[in-house]
Amino acid sequence: MTEQDQFDSNIDQGADTTVALGKGLDVGTANLAAAVQNDEGGITVNVERNAFLDIPSDAYSKNMLTKLKVPYVVHNGKLVVIGEAAFELANVFGRETRRPMADGLVSPNEQDALPMMKMIIQKILGEPQVPGENCYFCVPAPSLDVDNNVVYHQGLFESLIGKLGYTARAINEAHAVVFSELADNDFTGIGLSFGGGMANACITYKSIPCLSFSVARGGDWIDKNVANVLGCPRSKATAIKERGIDIRDPKSREEEAVAIYYRSLINYVLSNIKSRFESGQNMPSFKEPIDIACAGGTSMIGGFIEVFREEFAKIDFPIPVGRIFRSEEALTAVAKGCLVAAAIGES
Amino acid sequence: MESVNEIKEALSARSRTATLDELRSEGRKRVRLIRAEHVAQMISEAVHAAIEHSGLLDQEEVDRLVEKSRQEFKSILREREQELARSRETEEALEAREGELTELKSRFGELTRALASTRAELQQVQSELEVARELPAPVAPPPAPAAAPSSDMLMALVQEMANLKANLMQAQAPQAAPAPGADFSAAIEKLAGSLNDRLETLGKKMGVSAAVGGDAPTDFGSLFDAGESKLESNMDNIQVKQKAGGGIAANLARLKKLKGGG
Repeated sequence: MTEQDQFDSNIDQGADTTVALGKGLDVGTANLAAAVQNDEGGITVNVERNAFLDIPSDAYSKNMLTKLKVPYVVHNGKLVVIGEAAFELANVFGRETRRPMADGLVSPNEQDALPMMKMIIQKILGEPQVPGENCYFCVPAPSLDVDNNVVYHQGLFESLIGKLGYTARAINEAHAVVFSELADNDFTGIGLSFGGGMANACITYKSIPCLSFSVARGGDWIDKNVANVLGCPRSKATAIKERGIDIRDPKSREEEAVAIYYRSLINYVLSNIKSRFESGQNMPSFKEPIDIACAGGTSMIGGFIEVFREEFAKIDFPIPVGRIFRSEEALTAVAKGCLVAAAIGES
Repeated sequence: MESVNEIKEALSARSRTATLDELRSEGRKRVRLIRAEHVAQMISEAVHAAIEHSGLLDQEEVDRLVEKSRQEFKSILREREQELARSRETEEALEAREGELTELKSRFGELTRALASTRAELQQVQSELEVARELPAPVAPPPAPAAAPSSDMLMALVQEMANLKANLMQAQAPQAAPAPGADFSAAIEKLAGSLNDRLETLGKKMGVSAAVGGDAPTDFGSLFDAGESKLESNMDNIQVKQKAGGGIAANLARLKKLKGGG
């Protein structure tokens, strides 16, 4: 049996106890997610919030955190609570979480957060099944609206993942959405990833990216503005946003603020995409209407895709578009797309 | 009367102005004066007399020719005036260009000074690095900042260098358009290239060269290390949140088919 055959049988039979090689990692501003194929023919995605909170270190707090199964690290004499627990504690104490990343890239203001981020990635990714196993991780595309450079960001994570024993390869975030969501379209269409720090777009033709770019606004931009108008910490604004509201039908002043900024974000992203398409540089043309797949944690709010369609209808989009839909696994779609790239790389 | 003015302008255009002192220095003690009106009258009379004696043209034809000549004269005069205006505009544009050149020279001076200052800083950092390297290696693992520049310091330095480079390139951008600045742009480009090389050299020594634009793969992994041998943590005993998702077999099959392998 060749290596190719073995790979195929792992996928097709599903129940085989050997798990297919390759891992996908979504290095997101708000969440870190690692996807791997499981032995039941599906995928398992480990997700952790990309945030931490430092609190004074003492034996009592340490014991309590251990009993409550709250992940922590002792760093520079401080107790650093990591991930979702940090977010919850920040809300309890009315504080802001610290964030290793901002606007889709490693934050220059939180350099000492990198060791914490490494621990989270190590935890969700686990050990490689074989030395040098493929791990595809996502990187944002250059932004249309701010001057940023992904070279340093990409280099950092290539090094980190390499040190964990993997062969690290970068893939554009929205391209990963295409791999995850547009298989039925032969991977032709537009993938949009609405993340915490950015919104990424990628147009592909038969899996080949023709055009990719980003805008530096995402869920964090909504949180910042909602926090400003409501006079509360950003963590609180995030919690309001994530408590299951529908932006078509806001029930309170707080939800109204969230809905207003969501609509503004969607309009901003669509306007930028439209103007990029209209600029005529490297523009692909399609014979048939193409589908738009939306994904990313910021797209998970109730009413997102309906508002997206409403805003889309208002603009004269330069490309004929067929279906506009949101991924059923919006939070994990990027990690899944990275996994597809990694698995095909392994084969 | 109009013809008299024209005669005056023509005389003025074709004559020179000299002061009495100048004339005296030329040995002239007396000069004869004649009014423009008289010259005009004389010309007119001479022309009319010549034409009458020729018997070729009647008075009406003569008047028409005089009018045509007058128009011709005006046209030539206008052309000369326009040439003069164009000449003045060219002179003003030249002055503006000279001003721009002076400004560019001034900026060049500033950038040169900034570059010299940066070079001095880089050399100082290089020296410090050399000194740090020459120190004997400690037996036990040393605390991170003691023997070598910390990750933060490297990051700050790289950021500073990248900013300087960006500023230099930004300053260069508007100087490319005008022709007089072409040489200056080339000089700036050369300086930027030289700075790049120096940054790259220093960056490679510190293991961060790709951060300032190099193509070679660089190991950034140490930036994720906390400087402590092992951080105290309970992460090993914590379960992360897991989500189940649909399989990717169909995606892989499609991709393989696209690649021609299915």
